[in-house]
Amino acid sequence: MEMFLYMDKDSILHKLDPRTKIFIMLISFAIALMFSSLSLLLILSFLVILYGALGKVLSNLKRIRVILIMIAIMSVILWALTYPGTTRLWGPVTKEGIIYGIAIGIKFDVMIIAGMIFLSSTKIEEISLGLVKLGIPYRPAFAFSTAVRLVPMIVSTSYIITQAQKSRGLDLDTGNILQRIKKYIPLLIPVLISVIRQANILAMALESKGFGYSDKRTSYLEIKFEVRDYAFLAVALLILIVAVYFKFKYRL
Amino acid sequence: MTLSDKEIIVKDLTFRYKEQKDRNAIEGINLEVEKGEFIVIMGPSGAGKSTLAQCLNGLIPHFTKGHYSGEVVVRGIKVKETPVSKMAKEIGLVFQDFEAQLFSTNTKLEIAFGPENFGVPREEIEEIIRRVLKIVNLEGLEDRPPSTLSGGQKQRLAIGSVLACMPSILCMDEPTTDLDPIGKIGVFNIAKQLHEEKELTLIIIEHETEEALNADRIILMEKGKIIKDGKPREVLKEVDLMEKIGLMPLQIPKYFSQVSNLEKADLPLTYEEGVQKFKELGLQIDEGKYQEILRREDEREKSYGDVIIQAKDVEYVYSNGTKALDGINLEIREGEFIALLGHNGSGKTTLAKHFNCLLKPTRGSVIVYGKDTKNSNVYEIGNYVGYAFQNPDHQIFADTVYDEIAFGPRMRGCTEEEVKERVAEALKAVDMEGFEKEDPFALSKGERQRIAVASILAARPKVIILDEPTTGLDYKEQKRMMELVKRLNESGHTIIMITHTMWIVAEYAHKVAVMRDGKIEMYGKVRDVFKEEERLLELSLKPPSIVSLSNRLGKTFLSVEEMVSCTKR
Repeated sequence: MEMFLYMDKDSILHKLDPRTKIFIMLISFAIALMFSSLSLLLILSFLVILYGALGKVLSNLKRIRVILIMIAIMSVILWALTYPGTTRLWGPVTKEGIIYGIAIGIKFDVMIIAGMIFLSSTKIEEISLGLVKLGIPYRPAFAFSTAVRLVPMIVSTSYIITQAQKSRGLDLDTGNILQRIKKYIPLLIPVLISVIRQANILAMALESKGFGYSDKRTSYLEIKFEVRDYAFLAVALLILIVAVYFKFKYRL
Repeated sequence: MTLSDKEIIVKDLTFRYKEQKDRNAIEGINLEVEKGEFIVIMGPSGAGKSTLAQCLNGLIPHFTKGHYSGEVVVRGIKVKETPVSKMAKEIGLVFQDFEAQLFSTNTKLEIAFGPENFGVPREEIEEIIRRVLKIVNLEGLEDRPPSTLSGGQKQRLAIGSVLACMPSILCMDEPTTDLDPIGKIGVFNIAKQLHEEKELTLIIIEHETEEALNADRIILMEKGKIIKDGKPREVLKEVDLMEKIGLMPLQIPKYFSQVSNLEKADLPLTYEEGVQKFKELGLQIDEGKYQEILRREDEREKSYGDVIIQAKDVEYVYSNGTKALDGINLEIREGEFIALLGHNGSGKTTLAKHFNCLLKPTRGSVIVYGKDTKNSNVYEIGNYVGYAFQNPDHQIFADTVYDEIAFGPRMRGCTEEEVKERVAEALKAVDMEGFEKEDPFALSKGERQRIAVASILAARPKVIILDEPTTGLDYKEQKRMMELVKRLNESGHTIIMITHTMWIVAEYAHKVAVMRDGKIEMYGKVRDVFKEEERLLELSLKPPSIVSLSNRLGKTFLSVEEMVSCTKR
C-alpha cells in the first residue's frame, strides 16, 4: 500500500521552486479566509483545482474524499440550523443558512485541497530546503518535514494493529458511543508505543549519519527561481490583489 | 605506543541503563580491533551486544544516558568526549529495524543525507551516490521511494546511507534478523565484498551461526561480558558452550561430537567436511531405525481428522492491482502442523489471512469448518481460528498480563468467572503461570511473544495461525516457543505457521507448503520436500546443514537428534 502523499509525476508543478508553491498555498488560504460568498469561493476552488490539474496530482484527493465530504455536510447542517436567515424553508432552516453552510464547507475544503496539492507535488526534502531558504533554521525545518513524514508511518502501523486486534475478537461496529470509544484503547496504545519506538530509532539513525555535524550543510537537491516561478507568482499575486480590491470596494 | 595504532580500543567499559536495577548491561569489556578486521559478535538476548555497538559510535553515553565507566577510543578519538555526529565520520552504525531508519523521498536523497550533513559539495555527493548504489547493488532504483522497496533492498539502502558518510568502521546491529533468506544473502554478500576490499573494518552482530564462518574473528557475549574471543573455526566448535549460553550451535560439529570421540580441533564444520568425515570414521546409518521413523510418520499422516480448511482456486488481488495469490489449492486436516515457507511477497501472509477471514478471496473460495468465508467475518471465524501476528508489540496494550489475555474472552461476552478460568488455562499452556499481575511491556521479547499466543488461546480456537512466531528471538527463546507450539499441536490444535527459519520447519512442522509469486511451488511432508534440496535452492531456500549432510548420504534426517539416533558407530 502506498502511504506517502507525494506523487512522483513529471509536471510543471513538480518543477516549481518549493517556495513558489508555499506562497501560492498561503495566498489561496488568505483568499479563502477573506470571503464567505459562495460564488467567489466557487471561482477560487475552480482556480485551485485547475492548479492541481496542472500538477497531475488531483487523484490524491480520492484518498481524503471522505474527510472533504464530511466537512461539507457538517457545515451545511450546522449553519442551516443556526444561521439567522429570512427565507424559512422548514423549521429553523433557511435558504440563506444552507447557502452560507455550503460556502463555509467549500472554504475549508478548498484550503485542505490546496494543502494536499502542495504536499502531493513537493518532496519532503524540497519542503525543508524551501523553508531553510526562506530563513527558517534547518532543525525546525527538518522537524516539520519529518512530522509530515510520520503521518503515513502512523497510518500503516494502525492498519496492522487494527487487523491484529480484530483477530483477537475486537468488534468496532457495535455498542453505544462511549463503548465504542473505549474499544479504541487497544488500538491507540500499541500505535503510540510503536510510533515512539520508531521515532527513537529514527533519531538514533539520524545522529549516526552526522545530523547536526555543523551548521553549514550542503544540499544535494537544488532549488532556484526560474521564469516559470515568476510567472506563477505573478498570476497568484494578481489574483490576490484583485481579491483584496473587490473585498474593500464592494465589502464582500 | 600511540592510541591510533588500533581502530578501536575499549578499556574496562561498563554501562548500566537508567531503568536497569539488577545488573549492568555490559561489564568490564576490554577489546581491541585492528584495521580491516571482520568481527562477528554473537550472544543471546540481553547479552549486551547492541549496548556495546552503541558505545562504539557514542549513542551511549550521548543519546542514551546511564552509568558509564571505562573508555572507548575509536581511531584515536575519545568517544565519550565527542558528539555522535562527529563520530559518524569514523564509524557508521546500521540498525535492525530498516523501516524506521529510512525517511527520505527516494533512494538517492536517502544516500545523500549523510554527505549533506558533512558539507560535501554537490558534485562529490553525486559521485558518492553512484559509488554507494553500486556497492549495495541498488543501481537503477535511485528514484524509487524507499517504501516501495523490498525488505532486503531497504536494509541494503540503510547500509548504503551509512556507507555514504565514508566511515572507516561499519558496525551492523542484527542487520538480517527481520529479513527473508534472499534479503539475508544480499546483506551477507555486501559484507563479504566490503571485507575483501580490506579498506573497511567490519563489525556485525548476528544470530546466523553459519554466516559467521566468513569472519576473521568471533566474539561471544553473555550477560554483559565477553566470554570467548577467537577465530571462527575455533569458536564455532565450542558446541557445548554455545548451547549452554543459548546460541544455536552449528549442526555438523554438534552431530560429530555426539557420534565420535573426535578432538574439538578435528570436528568438521560444514556439511561438505561432514560427508568426508562420516566416511573416514566408517559411520553407518541404521536402515531399520530409519524405516521405523518413516513408518511412524506414515502413521501420523493417517491419524489426522477431517479437512477443516479448504482453499479452492483462490486468487487475491490487492486494491492497487497486485496479484498476491494466484490459484491456490490447499487442504488442511484437523491436527496437522503445516509450515508456510517462502520469501516476503510470496503470498504466505496473504494466504494465512484468508484462513481467519481477515481477507476474502477475489476469486475462488475458502471454506473454514464448513463455512464459506465469503458469508462470514473475522469475529465469527475467530471462534475457530486464532491468528497471532508477527510482532507482539502490535497487540499488547493492557496494564497487566491478566487483562491482556482476558481481552479476547471479554470481547466475546464471557462472564468474569469464565474469563478467569480461560486466562489461567492460557497462561498454563504458555508456561507463564504466576505472571498475571506483571506489566506486559516490562517482559522480554520472548515472554511478550508467549503472552500474545496466550491471548489467542484464551478464545479457545481449534486452529492457531502463527505469523513468524520466532523472529527476533534468540535460539533459547525460539526453542521454548516451538516446544510450546508443539505441545499445543499434540493437545489437538491444528497449527499453521509462517516462518523463514528452515531448522524450525525441519524439526517441528509435519507438512510444508513452499510459496513463490502467489503460487504453491512445493507441498508435502517436510521430509519429502527437504529431500529435494536442489528445488529448494532454486527457490533460494537453504535446508539446515544436517539435512544437507544426510541427503548426501542418501537419507533425509530433519534434526541432529534424529540422525544421532540412527547412526551405527
